[in-house]
Amino acid sequence: PSHSPKKLPRGFHEKASSHKTQRLVSVCQMFFLDYYCDMFDYVISRRQRTRKVLEYLSQQKALKHIDNDILNSEWSGYVYKEHEILRKRRLKPKHKDFE
Amino acid sequence: MSFLQNFHLSPGQTIRSTRGFKWNTTANHADTPLSPQKDRPLSNVPINGNVENSWSTPTKTPRYAQQPPSGPDGLAALQESRTHQIPQLGSDGNVTDFNYTPSHQQPFLQPTEGTTVTSHQDLKHIVEMTLGSEGVLNQAVKLPRGENENEWLAVHCVDFYNQINMLYGTITEFCSPQSCPRMIATNEYEYLWAFQKGQPPVAVSAPKYVECLMRWCQDQFDDETIFPAKTSGQFPSNFISKYVVQMLRRLFRVYAHMYCHHFNEILELNLQTVLNTSFRHFCLFAQEFGLLKPADFGPLLELVIELRDR
Repeated sequence: PSHSPKKLPRGFHEKASSHKTQRLVSVCQMFFLDYYCDMFDYVISRRQRTRKVLEYLSQQKALKHIDNDILNSEWSGYVYKEHEILRKRRLKPKHKDFE
Repeated sequence: MSFLQNFHLSPGQTIRSTRGFKWNTTANHADTPLSPQKDRPLSNVPINGNVENSWSTPTKTPRYAQQPPSGPDGLAALQESRTHQIPQLGSDGNVTDFNYTPSHQQPFLQPTEGTTVTSHQDLKHIVEMTLGSEGVLNQAVKLPRGENENEWLAVHCVDFYNQINMLYGTITEFCSPQSCPRMIATNEYEYLWAFQKGQPPVAVSAPKYVECLMRWCQDQFDDETIFPAKTSGQFPSNFISKYVVQMLRRLFRVYAHMYCHHFNEILELNLQTVLNTSFRHFCLFAQEFGLLKPADFGPLLELVIELRDR
């Protein structure tokens, strides 16, 4: 480590190899993996849900000639539900609450 | 969960060269004569072209100093240049790849085509391979169809707050009032903190600044009139211009300080992948909704442009 060409502050390696730092680093890496898995999962699921709803609405329109107002209100009902889910994501307990 | 155990963050996996790291997928395959080189488009070839140096310490190379050869002639020239390289053989006869990680064995995601997040099947692969690869984050920041823009921005404010908290938390040992007596990013930028409304902002140490900033963010999140928690709660009318922009502008400064004054430590701790990913996500998000001006990126403007243009 002493051959490192990078400019590191004195005592860096002692601190870096300490149990506490090592633990923080792995917690941080896990946090990000977890976050991005969860975030992509959400984005993908949401797109799939939306696609299904749009497919359903256009089918309804084509087959049964349902009134546009009804379809629009069904769509806004769906959007409202998604909105609630997203708001819950913002408020959900995070990692830091358990540390 | 099991795939997480195979996941090693290593310098070879950085989301491209802020420090000259490069993907060495090509280097891994170059020594096997059967490697399907013809299947790989030219864009996959190391652009700097100095194949002989593939195993040397990565250095900052101007990425477009040497244009990749194009056309059939170019391909021939490239394959010829490959035959000149001297693979460094390890004791077991294999090429020693110091940046080896299992994910390098997997096919390279094409930057130009953009990776589309379409199904859950892709998910594990994408996260494993390229936390923050091209195209993935660009799509993920887009406002979902029918969603309220304020809510989408609010969720991201909380997310970036948490990310920065986590990143800065890992280097608190190295960012003390002694090491960083002032909240600066390079010598050109210093950020001051106003403790009371109407009082002039004062110079504080970096950890103090971050502490104040994080508490300020938390206070905003807890304020029902700004970040409503109830389903019926509404955002204030000037939510984006007054609250979101200001918060992102301030959160950015923590990235700036970490990049400008702790990047070597972050490299040593092997956290550059997460830092780059987080910051790139932040920039793409700010860009998507036109939240930050170039001036807000002050010391990191160059890095921001590089991240954006890839």
